[in-house]
Amino acid sequence: MTAPPRPGADPASLRKDSDRPFTRLLIANRGEIALRIMRTCRDLGVETVAVYSDADTEAMHVQAADATVRIGPASAGESYLRADVIIDAALQTGADAIHPGYGFLSERAAFTRAVIDAGLVFVGPTPDAIDALGDKSTARRTAQAVGVPVVPGTLEPIGLERPDDVAAIVAAAERIGFPLLVKASAGGGGRGMRRVSSPEGLPAALAAGSAEATAAFGDGAVYLEREVRPARHIEVQLLGDADGTIVALGERDCSIQRRHQKLVEESPAPGLTSDERAELHELAVRAARAAKSHNAATAEFLFDTDRRFWFLEVNARLQVEHGVTELVTDLDLVAEQLWIAAGSPLSQAVSAAAAAALAPTRHAIEVRLAAEDPSRAFAPSPGRVGVWQLPSGPGVRVDTAIRAGERVPPDYDPMIAKVMTVGPDRRTAIRRMRRALDEVAVTGIQTTLPFDRALVRDPAFDAGEITTDWVDEHWDGETRRDESMAVAARVAAAVSSQATTPSDDPSLRKDGPAASSWRAAGLSAATDRWPR
Amino acid sequence: MRMSRAQRVTATTGSGSGSPDAKSFTVHPSEALDATEATSLGSVITVGHIGRPDRQGRRPVEVVVDGWRFELLVEDEARADLRERASRDRTALGTAGGPLEIRAIIPGRVVSIAVAPGDAVEAGQTLLAVEAMKMQNELVAPRAGTVTRVPAAVGSTVELGDVLVVVE
Repeated sequence: MTAPPRPGADPASLRKDSDRPFTRLLIANRGEIALRIMRTCRDLGVETVAVYSDADTEAMHVQAADATVRIGPASAGESYLRADVIIDAALQTGADAIHPGYGFLSERAAFTRAVIDAGLVFVGPTPDAIDALGDKSTARRTAQAVGVPVVPGTLEPIGLERPDDVAAIVAAAERIGFPLLVKASAGGGGRGMRRVSSPEGLPAALAAGSAEATAAFGDGAVYLEREVRPARHIEVQLLGDADGTIVALGERDCSIQRRHQKLVEESPAPGLTSDERAELHELAVRAARAAKSHNAATAEFLFDTDRRFWFLEVNARLQVEHGVTELVTDLDLVAEQLWIAAGSPLSQAVSAAAAAALAPTRHAIEVRLAAEDPSRAFAPSPGRVGVWQLPSGPGVRVDTAIRAGERVPPDYDPMIAKVMTVGPDRRTAIRRMRRALDEVAVTGIQTTLPFDRALVRDPAFDAGEITTDWVDEHWDGETRRDESMAVAARVAAAVSSQATTPSDDPSLRKDGPAASSWRAAGLSAATDRWPR
Repeated sequence: MRMSRAQRVTATTGSGSGSPDAKSFTVHPSEALDATEATSLGSVITVGHIGRPDRQGRRPVEVVVDGWRFELLVEDEARADLRERASRDRTALGTAGGPLEIRAIIPGRVVSIAVAPGDAVEAGQTLLAVEAMKMQNELVAPRAGTVTRVPAAVGSTVELGDVLVVVE
């Protein structure tokens, strides 16, 4: 494939068809990431194809696309995970490339192979690289082979077919030491993971972890890893081209997690020395290069209290939290992904950003707003959104695909918006995040907003000292939703209910009161007390 | 905003047992402003959907206080008193030992059902599992008894509050 020239290199090229990486891109995803990818396509003059399930017929990503294809019922297994149907959709609509987004089919080598076999371009790494990185045991061995420190544990995946395997595993566990983690070789996102504090608990944890891994990934292989705790989770954004050039575009601290799901991310990681930052970036590039990763990837590490980095894994895709890196570097990572996929070498802007990443001059934070109830152990709370008011103003970016009145379906990920802020330093980014979250108003569903607001005002967050177990140890959601909230709710309900109804008791009338949107608007204006 | 008559407010959402909003309260006009100020939240209060009155004449109201969502029913205090007096005579039947309805605590899809009508169940025994947003939530029997009805079906979609299993 010949690389199309980048715009700017030759002004005349801007008028030609080759000033864009592709003509038409199919986005094999939904929600905010599908919309976010389409925005870049608009910027580049690339036409877009959306795919959608029956749960998403009126979703924003469908309305934003140039062409749309229904791919199946609401269940992801029958729609967004149907590789064959999605590739057919691309061929039917004349797309020349497919962007997988994150999740769904983004790290399935079989999908990538099928895309390529269909004569289309896959925006991401090669199938072989996905295989090598997707299997966590292989990735650990690859990293260790090039001298990148991996978390101590087993390097070969464990099958649990024979009883004597279990005996060997118990012996390996004794060598690693307790507490340790059972992890799914094929997986991520905490699925198939079990914490084991003593040898007695190991057989049950192995069985449960393996069963969960089989259910989630179709592969029950697990491995053991020492639990590094307390630790911070720090990852490095990587970008590489087909020629094998690979650079680090700064790191992100994603230590604020719950059950291995990231809740808040920031870049750069607070408190790293410039030597530590340089070491981290170098380790990440080395691990990714050894695995022949290219396009966008993220190398994840734990950073322990002795200030050592331990390699966890490489995710060979665009991450949810890529936006904070974009805010710090001023790059459009999706645009860079598309140019790389079209065969271009890394741009000068990327090289410059990589050089600047060793001494960052901006700081960005992302808070994930989710349809979850932080007073009930973050239980899912799908439903129809009523009021949907998002922040704006200096240093604020919001990625979402939800609108007022829209239903958050129970079939997919509960994340409904990413609120990001940026500033010249961390202090400014935090202040802007506090202000931005104060501007958010959502009714209809319970969201994580109370957690998010409390977190960005917490002294531990201010100090940049949060480790991965902080949320479990410090967040007591049940007591946060306290009596003062209930009192305020009762008073507001009593006042507003009466204010919206005629002075005679409406319930005594035959039809009840007709809802007046004029009154409702006035009421909401009167009771929205912002700013604080 | 002015209030002219006392209002009876009952919460219909909560965070399970011991929730601070699980009771009925009376808000008097004289208290309204004070009470709002007394919370000192310094936070956003958003009043969401205000629906039509229910059969008993109570108006459903949604209020979000500093990000926390509350659903409440509001009616005039005088009317609430009347309604209560009327119903007091009908509450001779005790409810202890009566049928217990296990309801969906999240909307989602029923993925498995472990019991059938006629089964004896122990307290804490798993009855069924509901899946939403990649999470499986198992519902357990709050007390021992016999399953009398299983309105839920595997694969069906359930809304918050739907009756899934009845234990007596």
